[in-house]
Amino acid sequence: MSNQKKRNFQIEAFKHRVVVDPKYADKTWQILERAIHQIYNQDASGLSFEELYRNAYNMVLHKFGDKLYTGFIATMTAHLKDKSKLIEAAQGGSFLEELNKKWNEHNKALEMIRDILMYMDRTYIESTKKPHVHPMGLSLWRDNVVHSPKIHSRLLNTLLDLVHKERTGEVIDRGLVRNVTKMFMDLGESVYQDDFEKPFLDASSEFYKVESQEFIESCDCGDYLKKAEKRLTEEIDRVGHYLDAKSEDKITSVVEKEMIANHMQRLVLMENSGLVTMLLNDKYEDLGRMYNLFRRVTNGLATVRDVMTSHLREMGKQLVTDPEKSKDPVEFVQRLLDERDKYDKITSTAFGNDKTFQNASNSSFEYFINLNARSPEFISLFVDDKLRKGLKGIADADVEVVLDKVMMLFRYLQEKDVFEKYYKQHLAKRLLSGKTVSDDAEKSLIVKLKTECGYQFTSKLEGMFTDMKTSEDTMRGFYGSHPELSEGPTLIVQVLTTGSWPTQPAVPCNLPAEVSVLCEKFRSYYLGTHTGRRLSWQTNMGTADIKAIFGKGQKHELNVSTFQMCVLMLFNNSDRLSYKEIEQATEIPAPDLKRCLQSLACVKGKNVIKKEPMSKDIGEEDLFCVNDKFTSKFYKVKIGTVVAQKETEPEKQETRQRVEEDRKPQIEAAIVRIMKSRKILDHNNIIAEVTKQLQPRFLANPTEIKKRIESLIERDFLERDNTDRKLYRYLA
Amino acid sequence: MRRLEELFNRYKDPYSDMILAEGVSVLCSDLQVEPQDIVTLVLSWHMNAATACEFSKEEFFGGLQALGIDSIGKLQEKLAFMRSELKDEQKFYEIYNFAFGWAKEKGQKSFALDTAIGMWQLLFAEREWPLVNHWCDFLQDRHNKTISKDTWAQLLEFARTVNPLLSNYDAEGAWPYLIDEFVEYLYDKSVVDK
Repeated sequence: MSNQKKRNFQIEAFKHRVVVDPKYADKTWQILERAIHQIYNQDASGLSFEELYRNAYNMVLHKFGDKLYTGFIATMTAHLKDKSKLIEAAQGGSFLEELNKKWNEHNKALEMIRDILMYMDRTYIESTKKPHVHPMGLSLWRDNVVHSPKIHSRLLNTLLDLVHKERTGEVIDRGLVRNVTKMFMDLGESVYQDDFEKPFLDASSEFYKVESQEFIESCDCGDYLKKAEKRLTEEIDRVGHYLDAKSEDKITSVVEKEMIANHMQRLVLMENSGLVTMLLNDKYEDLGRMYNLFRRVTNGLATVRDVMTSHLREMGKQLVTDPEKSKDPVEFVQRLLDERDKYDKITSTAFGNDKTFQNASNSSFEYFINLNARSPEFISLFVDDKLRKGLKGIADADVEVVLDKVMMLFRYLQEKDVFEKYYKQHLAKRLLSGKTVSDDAEKSLIVKLKTECGYQFTSKLEGMFTDMKTSEDTMRGFYGSHPELSEGPTLIVQVLTTGSWPTQPAVPCNLPAEVSVLCEKFRSYYLGTHTGRRLSWQTNMGTADIKAIFGKGQKHELNVSTFQMCVLMLFNNSDRLSYKEIEQATEIPAPDLKRCLQSLACVKGKNVIKKEPMSKDIGEEDLFCVNDKFTSKFYKVKIGTVVAQKETEPEKQETRQRVEEDRKPQIEAAIVRIMKSRKILDHNNIIAEVTKQLQPRFLANPTEIKKRIESLIERDFLERDNTDRKLYRYLA
Repeated sequence: MRRLEELFNRYKDPYSDMILAEGVSVLCSDLQVEPQDIVTLVLSWHMNAATACEFSKEEFFGGLQALGIDSIGKLQEKLAFMRSELKDEQKFYEIYNFAFGWAKEKGQKSFALDTAIGMWQLLFAEREWPLVNHWCDFLQDRHNKTISKDTWAQLLEFARTVNPLLSNYDAEGAWPYLIDEFVEYLYDKSVVDK
């Protein structure tokens, strides 16, 4: 280009009006119309895109957009009607194929046509707000093909039929169905939903309604659940392969409703195969499957949980109220622990540690354990058994496991104060007879109780251990200062602080001379170093080891109770003694003496004494002598009975009474504490607050609380309000 | 004042400045009433007497002055009025509660059962309570101990507010335990239907 000076030049409009040939529009349209035909007839190769585009462009430019648009619609409609007929004519299986084929063709054609008509799309259609070419093309397909009367329901039925076939085990052409459902989606979500999805869901509902009814009549619970699970998986798979993703939740809801929700009760309660059977037989897989299926439906898990809870409560109730099972306390508790373990395993393996199931389980255990008033006693006896022998040789970590399990049962107890009383008694016996397997285990359990209940619960127990230790030191001191006593019987004394140990009334008993001399020496030694204290011998709690030589020279060492020792020593001076003589000499009270003589004379393998007559019971006219024919394969023979045992009825009543007595001051203290801080409180609220405060120890009886309130009124701690008699006031 | 002095001296015990049992019985015969007549309770109440069958000088003087009396004759005339006071709801309430401290043994905190029953019979003769006999039977049957002050006071409330068919008895109504037991007794004996 030569270097010219820049000149502005303008383009001017035509100075004269452009006259458009009226036939121009028709001619141009015909070109386009023909082109559309060719496109539809797959004959587009000879067409020039650029030319067609220009023609369309010109029409719009010359204000013939309207003609173009309506023409396009008319042409396309006509074509689609033809296609429709072809599809309708298709037979059987090829119906869908034809539809699919024609759909693909239509889409291709539509694309091309849209490109050609692009200018119109962007200008004329924009301004008139009519549907754009592409959407219009889809709508035309929808209206003229899919909704054509001869195609509409046939299409739907064909699809549903295929689904049904697949559900009954046949193989179908999934790809084909996929294309059709995709077509629906392309036509619009509402088309998919109205023309396919909704009828599909209805049909599925019907199908599963029937199937579930068949299954439930013929299968057991476990099998039914397997089938239900299988169907669910299938449906999800189906959606993945040939339905729209949004259908997944809807179809799974249908299956869940028909197969699970509608039959929930019947399944769970099914005899011999339902939930209860599964629980009894530890069917983890079945239970897990039930859990996973039922959590999908409303109230599914609640139903399972409720049935489990009532079963557990019923079973537990039978377990604890069965007199057979309460015969052996250790076994009783072991059964409880086994059940606890069982349900723990079920909850963790099958129920995914679901908290609501754990809670249901816990509350059931709490319910039935407390149905048996002896549970606290039995649990203490169980612990006693473990600490005396059960835990012998067990590794520390395993000991902890057992103790933790015991603590778990302890937490369920409502009457923890009753447990405390028994525990104290049993611990005392263990300590005094030296029969504890592991000091560490004892201490460990005390620590756990302290953590659970506070130091007041365990301070006395700890005092018992201290006494034992102190006594050892005292004995060393005693023998240290009396070296002359090392020849002769060995005395071991445990000095017990009265407040810490379970109270026992001192029982009278005449000790043999050799022993009482020693005891007196100890007493003066002790009181010499501890002025101001009083000692009383608890002869009903002691033991003795005595060496005996029997008639044929058999030598044995007998481990006996103090009472038994007193009786046996009498025979050093007499060959035969009557009951009355023994009673007089020992001054042991009759019931204790009878029990003592029974254990010496009437127990096989331990009968160091012979009794005339040889009856089971001790009569006041009986005569006794040493059993010279006594044999035992052991050198050391244990006859003493200072072992913790299940209480007899009268003993149980007595303990219960003492517990009730102990509760009274605790209730009063709680009332005073509450009233001191609230100053004024009404009756029902006091009862509620007191009950709440005492709940960690025991369940307070409202009548008892009332009586305590009256007692406090009597003693001027509280008064009733003048105007409202239900209100109490604290008197400072 | 002088007349009261004379009156007092007529009845007082020779060895102390109190009117004791003997003097009380002379007073009663002067008034022509039985010693067990409830009007003596009312009189004692006016005097704020500490114990039954005893009047101190202050109590005697104070009570008679409050009543505006200085002779036996005037006292006798007042008897009818005093009896009528028992019909007054508020005064009956005061006299009833006064009776506890007055009739019980000196130095005791609560009422001996027999004394209490006697007082109840006396008081509820003046103000009817249909269950009074059942109450006394119940006490003799089931409760062999003393009556506390609270129970005494609450019993009047019970008689006043709970109807004899127990239809408005509230088990959570903070009634003393003894009264709860009484209700149970009434149900047990089918005196009342549950």
